[in-house]
Amino acid sequence: MKLAGYTLKLEKKASFSGLEAILISVVAIAFALFLVGFIFLQAGVNPAEGYKAIFTYAFANSFGVPLTINRAVFILLSSFAFIVPIRAGLWNIGMAGQLYFGALSAFGVAYALGARVSGAVLSPWVVIPLMIIGAVVGGGLIGAIPGVLKGRFNTNEIVVTMMLNFIGYWVVAHMIKEGGPFMGSGGEGEGYKLPASIQAPVVSGVSILTLVIALVLAILLYVLFTRTRFGYQIRAFGHSPAASRYAGISPFKIAFLTFVIGGALAGLAGYHYFGTVPNLNQIPKNYGDFGDMAFYGIICGLISQGNPLAAIPLALLFGGLTSGGRYVQGKLHLSYGIDYALLGVLMIVLVAFQFFFRYRFVLKKES
Amino acid sequence: MTEIKQGDIVLQARGITKRYPGLVANDHIDFEIRAGEIHAILGENGAGKTTLMSILFGLTHPDEGEIYVFGKKVNFRSPLDAIDLGIGMVHQARKLISAHTVLENILLGHPHAGAILDMKKTAEEVKQLCDAYGYKIDLNAKVWHLSEGEKQMVEILKALYRGAKILIMDEPTSALAPPETEKLLETIQLMTKNELAIVPFITHKLPIVLSVSQRVTVLRRGKIVARLNTAEATEQSLAMEMIGREVLFNLKRPDVKIGKPILQVENVSIYDDKDYWAARNISFEVREGEIFGIAGVSGNGQQPLAEALAGLRKVSAGRVLLQNEDVTRLSSLKRWKKGIGYIPSEQRAVGSIGDFSLVENLLMSYYYDDQFVKWGLIDTKKIRQLAQELIEEYNVATPNPDVKARNLSGGNLQKMILARVFSRKPRLIIANLPTQGLDVGAMEFVQNKLLEEKKAGAGILLISEDLDEIMALSDRIAPMYEGEFMDILPGGSAQRETVGALMAGHKQKAVQA
Repeated sequence: MKLAGYTLKLEKKASFSGLEAILISVVAIAFALFLVGFIFLQAGVNPAEGYKAIFTYAFANSFGVPLTINRAVFILLSSFAFIVPIRAGLWNIGMAGQLYFGALSAFGVAYALGARVSGAVLSPWVVIPLMIIGAVVGGGLIGAIPGVLKGRFNTNEIVVTMMLNFIGYWVVAHMIKEGGPFMGSGGEGEGYKLPASIQAPVVSGVSILTLVIALVLAILLYVLFTRTRFGYQIRAFGHSPAASRYAGISPFKIAFLTFVIGGALAGLAGYHYFGTVPNLNQIPKNYGDFGDMAFYGIICGLISQGNPLAAIPLALLFGGLTSGGRYVQGKLHLSYGIDYALLGVLMIVLVAFQFFFRYRFVLKKES
Repeated sequence: MTEIKQGDIVLQARGITKRYPGLVANDHIDFEIRAGEIHAILGENGAGKTTLMSILFGLTHPDEGEIYVFGKKVNFRSPLDAIDLGIGMVHQARKLISAHTVLENILLGHPHAGAILDMKKTAEEVKQLCDAYGYKIDLNAKVWHLSEGEKQMVEILKALYRGAKILIMDEPTSALAPPETEKLLETIQLMTKNELAIVPFITHKLPIVLSVSQRVTVLRRGKIVARLNTAEATEQSLAMEMIGREVLFNLKRPDVKIGKPILQVENVSIYDDKDYWAARNISFEVREGEIFGIAGVSGNGQQPLAEALAGLRKVSAGRVLLQNEDVTRLSSLKRWKKGIGYIPSEQRAVGSIGDFSLVENLLMSYYYDDQFVKWGLIDTKKIRQLAQELIEEYNVATPNPDVKARNLSGGNLQKMILARVFSRKPRLIIANLPTQGLDVGAMEFVQNKLLEEKKAGAGILLISEDLDEIMALSDRIAPMYEGEFMDILPGGSAQRETVGALMAGHKQKAVQA
């Protein structure tokens, strides 16, 4: 392209620094917010005020902040579930199904211990760890399905994980709706409520236990990928299946283990949201909305380039936008779905800006 | 366009310069090409040949300089402009659609190929072209049935049919068997009689350059270092110009005592990816201190055989013994641990991971070693230390071991792969096309390293297309054709012609010779 004696050229980048990546992400987010500004304008709302309302609610309001953090932890765990297989070049888009099964088995553990009928019989020191183990095992087992199919028969993992999302959705429906074993006492299509004695600890509205677990996992996963043998094998396979096979790395082992771990992490996300967030402590009627929210984990994982530490601020941002977006919708009388529109545009822009990780524009004077 | 006569300048480059970050790929290149001449452009890998070629064909824009075609200044926006002006290109990696017929491939991209294809007319015209150059080819054959030589013929026909007057050829003889090479040389000499200018870009195979070309331009580090009439050049002088120092073409073969068998292959048969026989009934053994050479043109089953011995492909029948232990069903990782070292032919796709640093690439052979990984944690310091040592020992040109493998040149990358594999002290080395695509300097280095390993007592299975290499290095030679060993000959006394004929499948001729 030529402009007044200058040529605008596209050049391929050899590499990019971490700082550059952050800068690109920040510019992308600003650009997305700018675009969504038009939706505000169209609705007759001053964009500046709209954003102010969103961000104040999400990050500086005593009701909004806990909601933001609880959602951010959920999105963060979902993004870990995506990141582990994607580092091996495998796409897990089955976080929704895995978290449903994770939640089901966590509630199944509590159910087996009599939580639904007689209230808690055991101490929370026993029940909560068992529920966590249940969630991890449940999610991991569902993750094992695409893992085995991919590793053994090279079945497309995207199709398998996506189909399992539907299966998971309807299995949950079967378990909690009228007549299901996990049906709540109200019988209005939600699951039974955990008795107060085995609810996870909450500090100022934030589920503190799962928050700590998620942050520790971020560090552990970071170490896994940068320092360990298993992480090396995953990355090698992700970069080049042929070269890693030559190096003696078993493709089956990688596909199987990354999907089991991914599924387990998604299962944990299920326990976190349905099992520990205050005022919930049950599988709610609209559990499908949270399955959808898990998809933000994919975007989070992609933008963070598979870096579990970089996923933390992104999950926080996404969590804030979902809580703040929903809030302004009511407060400023916007039409339904402004939070989805905001996140949708943000996703598209962030993905489009990935382009700048590989290319840069150069302005050259015509000679 | 005016009529072109023999000797007219058809293409002229003036001051072509192309810079890449940290490197001048082409530095003020001037040369001209005349109608009816074969003008070889010679240079090592990284000398700037590929860049120059892409500039001449419109794939890359030069930063400076001008190109004149038939006396007119041109500015190529894309290869289409170059093609329209009569420049044709025959790529090293064939750019044909293998599921289509020869004719369909020739027609593809031709202006005649509009909404309706006039196959009949095209067929007649292409037939005439074939007759003119003595090509015999079935225009309705599917391309995947063809041999490498025939595929190249199709590429040449495609360019000629498109009206090429200047034919750029990238490593034209690289995948051809000796008889096919001869046929190619004959044809291009015939073509030059019709005022066609042929510009082959060549890395090695110096004898070929000498035998057919009239003029040679030698590139080194982006600059032209010599313009010669071929008649004045010798193999030695060209090699010297290319790499800037004298090359010893006679490798010193160490006197090594051949010891006990390390690898025994008994009646092994292997299927390829399409479930056809790739290799059948192969039996041989490799002994300590021995280089066993498999000579053959790529695609005759060497690759599946190498993969099977490395544990990367299933053996359908027969046994493989490593130091008298049956390893037929062992995984590759177990074989590496038992002392097999494998140098794969695809150094970028298989032998290394481009996005990994050299240290991480080194880990490919060390991640399973408990001396470097404790409790699952990689000892980064130790592996980095080793990487630094190997880089020094193997003379790898890189600023530091954190450079990504993709940024190394072919020769340096191969040195790094060799360093990695040999540092494990393998008892058996399987080297599949270890010098393919390397420049003369790197090639010599690799060959000497193989000889060093031989001296250290390793058994080496060398697979190569380069007859000179096989003849120079091997203690025994097995020419391979269509999945079978044609014979096993002693390296010292085998005739070059015999091996060449056998690897092209001419058993009869070999008996006569």
